[in-house]
Amino acid sequence: MALTLERMRADVAAKIHEEPDAVSDHENLMDLGLDSMRLMELTLLWRELGTAAGFAEFAEKSTLAEWWALVQARPKAA
Amino acid sequence: MTTDPFDLTAPQGQPLTEAQEGLWRFQAMDPDNPILNAGQYLEILGPLDVAAFAEAVGGMIAETEALRLRFRETPQGPRQRLAPEFPALAVHDHRRAPDPESAALAMMRADSDKPLDLARDATAAFHLHLLGPERAFWYERVHHLCLDGYGMALVTDRAAERYAALKGGPAAGPDFGPLRLALEADAEYRASARREQDAAWGRAAMEGAPEALGMKPGRAVSGHGFHRATRLLPPEFLARLRDFSRSRNATWPDLVTALTGAYVQRFTGGPEAVLGVPFMARLGGSLARLPCMAMNVPPLRIIPDEGAVLGDWLKGVSKSLIALRRHGRYRAEALRRDLGRIGGGRRLHGPLINIQPFDSAPKMPGLETRLHILSAGAVEDFTFSFRGDAHEGAIFEADSNPALYSAEETEAHADRFLAFLEGALKAERLADLPTASPAEARRFLIDVNATEHPFPTDRTLIDLILDKLRENPKAEALRFEGLSLTNAELDARTGALAAKLKELGAGPDRVVAVALPRSMELIVALLAIQRAGAAYLPIDLEHPPARRKRVLDLAAPVLTLRRAEDAEAFAGFPALTPDQWPTTGEAPPSATGPENLAYVIFTSGSTGEPKGVMIEHRAIVNRLIWMREHYGFAPGERILQKTPAVFDVSVWEFFLAFLSGETLVVAPPGAHRDPSALARIIREERIDTLHFTPSMLSAFLAAPESAGLKVKRVFCSGEELTADQRERFHARISGELHNLYGPTEAAVDVTFWPATPEDHSSPVPIGFPVWNTRLYALDSRLRPLPAGLAGDLYLGGVQLARGYLGRPDLTAERFPPDPFRPGERIYATGDLARWRPDGAMEFLGRSDHQVKIRGQRIELGEIEAAILGTGLAREAAVIAREDQPGVKRLTAYVVPATGYDAEQLRTALAASLTPAMIPSHLLALPALPLNVNGKLDRAALPAPALEEGGPSRPASPEEARLAGLVAEVLELPHPPGPEADFFRLGGDSLLAMRLALRIREAFGKDPGVGAIFDSASLAEIAARILAAEGPAEGLEPLLLLAKGDPEAPPIFLAHPAGGLGWGYRALAKALAPARSVYALQAPSLTGAAPFASLDALAEDYAARVAEAVPQGPIHLAGWSVGGVIVQAMAARLAERGREVGLAALLDSYPAEVWRGRLEPSEAEALRAFVAIAGLDPTEAPPLANRAELLAYLREKGGGPMTLLPPEVLEGVVKVALGANALVRGHEHRRFPGRLTHIRAGLDHQNDPGLQADLWLAHCAALEKLEAPFLHPQLVSPAAVAVIAPLLAERLKAFDKERDPKSGNRFSDQSRDPQNKENA
Repeated sequence: MALTLERMRADVAAKIHEEPDAVSDHENLMDLGLDSMRLMELTLLWRELGTAAGFAEFAEKSTLAEWWALVQARPKAA
Repeated sequence: MTTDPFDLTAPQGQPLTEAQEGLWRFQAMDPDNPILNAGQYLEILGPLDVAAFAEAVGGMIAETEALRLRFRETPQGPRQRLAPEFPALAVHDHRRAPDPESAALAMMRADSDKPLDLARDATAAFHLHLLGPERAFWYERVHHLCLDGYGMALVTDRAAERYAALKGGPAAGPDFGPLRLALEADAEYRASARREQDAAWGRAAMEGAPEALGMKPGRAVSGHGFHRATRLLPPEFLARLRDFSRSRNATWPDLVTALTGAYVQRFTGGPEAVLGVPFMARLGGSLARLPCMAMNVPPLRIIPDEGAVLGDWLKGVSKSLIALRRHGRYRAEALRRDLGRIGGGRRLHGPLINIQPFDSAPKMPGLETRLHILSAGAVEDFTFSFRGDAHEGAIFEADSNPALYSAEETEAHADRFLAFLEGALKAERLADLPTASPAEARRFLIDVNATEHPFPTDRTLIDLILDKLRENPKAEALRFEGLSLTNAELDARTGALAAKLKELGAGPDRVVAVALPRSMELIVALLAIQRAGAAYLPIDLEHPPARRKRVLDLAAPVLTLRRAEDAEAFAGFPALTPDQWPTTGEAPPSATGPENLAYVIFTSGSTGEPKGVMIEHRAIVNRLIWMREHYGFAPGERILQKTPAVFDVSVWEFFLAFLSGETLVVAPPGAHRDPSALARIIREERIDTLHFTPSMLSAFLAAPESAGLKVKRVFCSGEELTADQRERFHARISGELHNLYGPTEAAVDVTFWPATPEDHSSPVPIGFPVWNTRLYALDSRLRPLPAGLAGDLYLGGVQLARGYLGRPDLTAERFPPDPFRPGERIYATGDLARWRPDGAMEFLGRSDHQVKIRGQRIELGEIEAAILGTGLAREAAVIAREDQPGVKRLTAYVVPATGYDAEQLRTALAASLTPAMIPSHLLALPALPLNVNGKLDRAALPAPALEEGGPSRPASPEEARLAGLVAEVLELPHPPGPEADFFRLGGDSLLAMRLALRIREAFGKDPGVGAIFDSASLAEIAARILAAEGPAEGLEPLLLLAKGDPEAPPIFLAHPAGGLGWGYRALAKALAPARSVYALQAPSLTGAAPFASLDALAEDYAARVAEAVPQGPIHLAGWSVGGVIVQAMAARLAERGREVGLAALLDSYPAEVWRGRLEPSEAEALRAFVAIAGLDPTEAPPLANRAELLAYLREKGGGPMTLLPPEVLEGVVKVALGANALVRGHEHRRFPGRLTHIRAGLDHQNDPGLQADLWLAHCAALEKLEAPFLHPQLVSPAAVAVIAPLLAERLKAFDKERDPKSGNRFSDQSRDPQNKENA
């Protein structure tokens, strides 16, 4: 299963006990209560699903839109 | 050119971020505290390329601006800037040292423990210690103001990354950003609406939160060090944590945080725990990869739901953690201020849970690494830390504040907490999880209770007694008031009566009442009833008739053995009086067995309804045979019977002698309450063994007749034996002292403790279980507790009562099934107790003595233990009084020990108890009231006097002065009372700083801002001021020379010529402790401008003493020039409308006498110093100059005088010479009161003009006294021995005249408020 924006949104929402529609593209995800531990787990999950971006890169960004851009810019080498 | 507000290189520096401000304040309060030096080292194993490593570290340092920060205080507040110089990696080669590792560790410790001058010293240091060919330690030390824990991990990893790149690994990523990013982020947040929202959220989240508590009460302020217990967590354990949490959509840090809350709550009690949760506060932005200090420690409330499914509850905590992170940037310090949780021990949170999954050892190619954290910042209370991740293993560290926890307790918490986590992974609910670890549960449920011991299980008590009596028929069995019975006679008389009783219906499990005073007949009756197979029921003739009737109705005795004259009291109940007892006859053997009743004793329930406790033979046989064997009771000894039969202690007194072949000596009725009668019996009857309730023991030890008594053993039980009673016992009586404990429901006693002279335990434990007996300390869910945690005391084993007579409901309630031994019962004592680590039990009072104050559950026994623990009181009782409806106040009643000081006691309690536990009233009593059983009578404790609104006690001079400053700083209309709390009055941290400054100015001492923050009351701050070492130590204008009764008005001693009051030390010591004694010293010694006239001086001094003693009389005395000052001050005070009490002049003469005389030479002035320094100048050689004077003072050990800095000594000389001029220029004003003059009787032979009468011109009345000394000797210890009693007598007469209750000096409340209003 390839990584999609909607998949990422659903993963984030599940981590913070929210419904996917509670996580908008431009909301600060840290403000929603995402912590380093959960971000680490998401990073590991998403790397398996097709991105080369790592924890530090995600950590410097804060919205789903930025993350999606990052994922698109850094596809996993085939 | 506009200035860049974030330019850290600007010479003026930049303000601190909010995150740094809190740390700065902590460090500023305690500049010598090195605990903010965060230190760690990376253990590197393998072939390290030192040059490459140095290059890597250097590169990291070059890109990390935070490592170059310096800090200083400016009038605008603290500022930080970047120093131009970079720290460099220092390499230490220990490879040839005998013990390279120890050498390196010692250097690291020394570096970490060194407090920094933050303005000058490098705030970061990096050392590489080479230990061997393949081993090195990389040490990093950075002040917390520069980096937080996450920042530390960033720089460590970065150096490793650079090293890897240098060794051919992947290229290191981009450099760290500039530190200005942190300032920008801070400014942005401060100005944002977001901050306000976070603040509002934080306040709402803490709404209604209880007082935050640690796992032990006391002041949670970080010291300079901490205890640490480290445990390695195996990957399997972490994997289970991770799996458990993942299956519940949480993370393992969430799970561990939740369980830490549950664990902490087990120790704090109450419904919830408030943890501090360090939060990195930088994810998702420019700070995510910036080494800086950004961390925050917001509070998290965790409410354990014991009954909920663990996963469900965890989900809730996980959600509250998410909410906390959303709002977690709002500074905890700000929230604490918003919530008013500053000062007085009020805290925002209890222990910390710090989880740093990223803080693991970084990888370097070809090397193995291990990370060791030396210090990660302040430890206020207890910090639970996890470092590392769940895949590779992590480290758990328990750090504790040594002021609160011992090293052993810290280790025990580490093990127990991990066991708690383990247990949680298997448990369905928190309710299934005991606080004790499995190892502790085994120890405290099983090991300490391994008391199985054989005893005669097939015999009744009377069987065993008869066997013993018949072994030695001629031996003396019983003595009473000169009468005596042999074993054979006792056997015959009891047999005869038993036959009659049987005839009248006595038999197994039937009850026969006994209502006889202590006598031969009483003993015969108790044995005869048992021989008849029945159980005896003691009835007290002193009990109220209604109660007596109730007991008789409940027990329905087949018969009552009573005196003929008591017929009326027992009307309607069949009786047999001693004159009807047969003297011949023999009871047939009874069918009674060990399972039948031996006696029934009624106790009072909490409802007042008497409950009849039924004790079977096997229970009491176990108890008595244990006692006989354990203490080695042997034939030929004597036991005293003095306890009333209705009190179950009497049971062993009555029967143990007969079981051991000893003689029982029965004390006359009433003797048990008369210490001198008891002492006489003990001596005359050569008593070996006797019993006291601790209260009665205390009274007995106070009686003159108890001195030097010699006995074999004394047993105490019935109430708590105090450490003081133990010590007084051994100081006065030669013999063993044993502390026993047990309720009537468990056959007299179930625990024992030898209270030997070598035992220094406080509290004195109740000790270990007796044979075939179990003790449990359990929580409210009947789960085992570890050592040190108070719980309900339960008893199990052979000694338990059958139950309550006629009350199966009550029996079922109080004797539930033993949760740990199927088929057996336990008894719920209603007492609180805790295990000591050595397996001895400590008694902490009744659980119904638990009260709720400010929502906090408080054990009164714990407060009593804390009071006794100070050693300031011999006995203590604490009760929660509700003298005003709805206002519950804790009142402590203490019997003072030598050296008792109410203020000191308050201060000591504030250091060891939570604020809500500190009694609001402290009443000293000569003795605590006792009831008829010799136990504390709580109902008879007097009510403290309650004031309407005003302070509960008068202020000391320091307190009054401080109150003035507080009123000034807070702009209050009136000075607050000594119990007032600065922060509750409206103070905040800024105002606290201002108050600190004013204190420094006014007192010449600097207790530090910290003292204001930590103190619950002005009284406490005043105490800290007194205790503070000031820069002007000993030179302050008002120097406390001797502390005395704060109730009595103090006396002020005006300095002689030199301006110093030190020469008065001997006099001060002699006048205290009846009152406090102060010296008035020249303010010019501490930098003030010298006075232009003696009038100006007197006015200044009068103002100082008037402020220090706001009401009541002011007592003054002065020697030499000091006497002239006293008269001038007295005149000024009278003009102000103040009353002058004693005004004593020690060989002083008015100004006009001196005007016509020559000025003293320098030699004379120098000589005068010898006296000023408190030495006898007549013994001194001629002194030509200052050097000779100093040499002489040093040779004689001239006290602190020789330590004076030269400029101060210079000042003293100046004051001395100036004083002469002042006196000569002085015009006396009339003092409209009485002066007391003491003439130096041996002096002035050549100067008959110096007469006391000269003062008549300047006062209304003059009292003339004389002391046989020379003028310079008047303040020497020899003269003081004569003069002090003269002054004391006059001062005392003065106090008496004013205060009719002055004899009652112990009571804080005894002072009649009217006394204060006579001014």
